[in-house]
Order: sequence, then structure tokens, then C-alpha cells
Amino acid sequence: MNLNGTKKAPPANVVLPHYAFAAISFFVLCVLIFLSSSSFLGHYFDPRLLSITHLAALGWISMIIFGALYQLIPVILLAELFSNSLARITFFLFAVSLVLFGFCFWNFYLGWPFILSASLLLLSILFFAVNVYFTGSRSANQEIAADFILAGSCWLLVTAVLGLLMSINLTHPFLSAEHLTYLKLHAHTGFGGWILMIIMGVGSKLIPMFMLSSGGETKDLRIAFYFINGALLGFFTDVLFSHSFDRGIIYFLIALLSVILFMKFIVQTYKKRARKKLDLGLKQTISAILLLLLPVSIGTLVNIGVYKGTSFHLNLSTAYITSILIGFVSLMIIGQTYKTLPFIVWLHKFGALAGKEKTPLPKDLYNESIANAHFLIFMLAYPIFLSGILLSQLLLLKIGSGLLILVALLYNINVFRIISYPVIKKNHHE
Amino acid sequence: MNEFEDANKVELEAYGALRTVIDPELAVNIIDLGLIYEISYSVTEGIHVLMTLSSKGCPMGDVIMDAMRTVLNEKIPGVKVNIELTWVPAWTTDRVTANGKKELGLI
Repeated sequence: MNLNGTKKAPPANVVLPHYAFAAISFFVLCVLIFLSSSSFLGHYFDPRLLSITHLAALGWISMIIFGALYQLIPVILLAELFSNSLARITFFLFAVSLVLFGFCFWNFYLGWPFILSASLLLLSILFFAVNVYFTGSRSANQEIAADFILAGSCWLLVTAVLGLLMSINLTHPFLSAEHLTYLKLHAHTGFGGWILMIIMGVGSKLIPMFMLSSGGETKDLRIAFYFINGALLGFFTDVLFSHSFDRGIIYFLIALLSVILFMKFIVQTYKKRARKKLDLGLKQTISAILLLLLPVSIGTLVNIGVYKGTSFHLNLSTAYITSILIGFVSLMIIGQTYKTLPFIVWLHKFGALAGKEKTPLPKDLYNESIANAHFLIFMLAYPIFLSGILLSQLLLLKIGSGLLILVALLYNINVFRIISYPVIKKNHHE
Repeated sequence: MNEFEDANKVELEAYGALRTVIDPELAVNIIDLGLIYEISYSVTEGIHVLMTLSSKGCPMGDVIMDAMRTVLNEKIPGVKVNIELTWVPAWTTDRVTANGKKELGLI
């Protein structure tokens, strides 16, 4: 029985376009943030801010998660991906509909192209969820990571359905509650149900593997799984039927317990690691997990509502979303890019040559100085940008987002260097 | 040379060949990582390698095992190679050699 995932992995041409699209999206995202910095000082229901949020959540984060999951599902679920063709169709449909969706949102053009793009996005997400579900049904793996991935995919589907309903509601109002009520539901199922759940699931498997650690308590992860799903289900049904956020703090605290248990698992993994010298990918991953403390703190302030009714409450809300998407998740993805992408490309280009001739190592496929540089610039740019939101300082927002463009540019250089790394055939007669 | 000495020689050759197989993620050879539990040889069965990986579902597992077959076939041609993967006992850092520990930053 083959207990390894490599031979079950899909071809590189299924996975790599996701990384390329996501890297470009990250660059475009940072440019748009720079150009629309002033939007970060107003209400979050702003076309520019909503476009930026969707480009971050879908074009950058979800796109790379899709690609990475197609590669990692065989490793985590120990089963072959259900359909490579469906994965290819999903990519094209998701990419095309996202561009149309982003264009409509940016210009606040809410006609039929907007509804069409939202429908196509939902369809592509449905294809992705179907692919994950049938892959999972082939697997006998009962690990908690598999549960996180399957549940996360369901929450993504719920998020997309809500998104489509809201896009229709903007031009043909039919929903019973205020639009912002659904927006909050949409945001929480997207961030907590999809992004956070996938990070917790995949992280619980990959981080111990990369650190050569026996990991933390699996029991903690299982409790974390039930807490986060319980919190989301409670919040979702409560708000949907009562249209009230009065009990929001209860669900937030339950979700917070889930995050704390995940962080406990990571701390235990870190302490037990055999690999003392952490490479750059792991350093960025650990830094991202530390940065999770910021959205946790800001989110607590938002949910307690100490500044409710003041303009600072709006700043806090925007900072909360920014600290999740641009801070914690983006750095996590950048770090994990350096752990997964070189491996995928190396496997594709050099895997068959291993043992036959000297090959570069996965870490040789990118420029480490560039990677180090954008990590340091990120650690400078992000606090400046977040301070700009909290202090309502446009200059700080401009400096922070300008530096983020540099981060994205350097990241793109390395991503495309890895993807296009040449295979130089050795001449055995030399 | 008797059969026992032959077996010893082949096992040593196999051991030397496997030292050239590197875990691409860790950049340490599989002997120093302590992934090889046992190497045995008999004329009828060929080379039998009992090994493990640092974790179940290790993404580099297939690559490592393919590379092992390649180097063994190249260094000891004409001999059947059988690689057996086991998870018992599970791999721990206690199995890493002093050289491996140095490369992993453990000492």
C-alpha cells in the first residue's frame, strides 16, 4: 500500500496556475490598496473596500488555497484527487468570474454582469466543494485535518450562496433583514468557516511535518473543531432568524477558545520540534501565527462594543478585517508558499532525476535574499498600515501600502522564478 | 569468498549507496536521518531494506524510495531490490546520527 501522497498528487499544470494567479492578485491587491488608501478611513461598506476585500479573500487567498489543497489533499487524505479535469475547469471559471466580479464591484456596476459573475463564482466553488467531497469519500483517513478541510469547503459554499443572494438583493431587494446583516454573516462564514478552518486543518498536519515534531494534543484540535463550528452555526442561525447581533460576543468567545486551542497545539509542536534551525518558510509561518494575536485583540474590542457609536469603532472594524486578511493570512500564505511551491515544482522537474544525478534542492529554486527582504519589509509595512487605519492617518496608510507593493513585487519575483526554474540536463559523456 | 562474506559485502555496498540519497526537504541523507532500520541480502531474495519516514504521508516519501531503488540498481546491478516501509517503531530523533543532528541543528 502506498502511504505517501506524492504519486497520488495531480499533475503540476493543475496546481501551478493557481499559485501564479494568486501571486499576481496579491500584487494587484497591494496596488489597489495604495490607490484607495483613503477608503480605509471610512465605512467598510464602500465599493473600493469591498472590491479589495474580495480580491484578497478570493483572488489571493482562496485561489492559492485551492491550488495548495489539490496538491496537499493526497498527502492529508491519502487519496487521489477525485477529478483533475474538474480542478482545471474550476480554475478557469473561478478566475474569469472573479475578474468580472472585481471589475463590477470596483465600479459599483450592479447590473446583470455582476449577478452573472457572482453566479459563476458560486458554480466554481460548488465544483471545488464537489471535488473535495468525493476525494474525501475515497479516503479512509479519520484525521482531524480531513474534517477541517471538508467542513471548511462546506462553509465556503455557504459563503458563496450568501454572496450571490446579496448581489441579487443589491439590485432587486428581497431579503427580509438589512443588507449589512447578511454582509456580516457572509464575512464571518468566509473568514471563520473557510479561511481559518483550512489554515487550522492544513496547519495541524503540515507544521508538525515540516518541523519534524510529534505535534501537540490531537484532542485539543478536535475540541477546537467543534468549538469553531458550533460558534459559526450558532451565530449563523441566531442572526439569520433573530436579525440581531446581541449574542455575538458569546459566539466570538467560543470561536476564540478554538483559536487558543489551535495556538496551544502550535506552541507544543514548536517546543517538541526536532528541526531547531527553522527555514524562512517556517519563520514566516510562526510569525503569522503570532500575528493572529492582533485580530484576536482587535476582534475582542469590536465584539465587546466598547467604542460602539464612535468613529473609532469603524476604524476598529476595518482594522479587524485588515489584520486577518493582510496580516495573519497573507503572511501565513507567503510562508507556506516557500514550503509548498518549491516542493511541487521540484517534484515535477527533478523528482524523477533524484538518485540518478545531482539535482538542486527545493530551497535552491528561489532567491533566499529576496525572500528575506520581503519578509522584513512586510514586518515593517503591516504595522505601519494597521496604525494608519487605527489612527486615521492617510500618510501612514500610503507608506504602509507602498511598502506592501514592494513586498508583493519581491514575492512575485520569487514565485515566477520557482515556477520557471529551468531543468538543465546533465551531459553524461562529459 | 563464502556466502556470508558476500552478503556482508553487498549490505555494505547498499549502505554506502543509500548514504547518497538525500531527503530533499531536510537536505540530510537518509542514513544520517535514521530512516533505514535494516539492510539484509540473500542470493535468493536480493537486497531487502526495512525503512521508515519521518511522518506518515511524508510528501517526499515516494521520491526518496524511488531514489533508493535507482542508486541500489546502479551500484549493485542485477540484484533484486525490495524496500519495505514500516511505521513500527515510529521514527524519532533518537535515530538521527551525530552528523545528522549537527545538520538539523540539534547539537
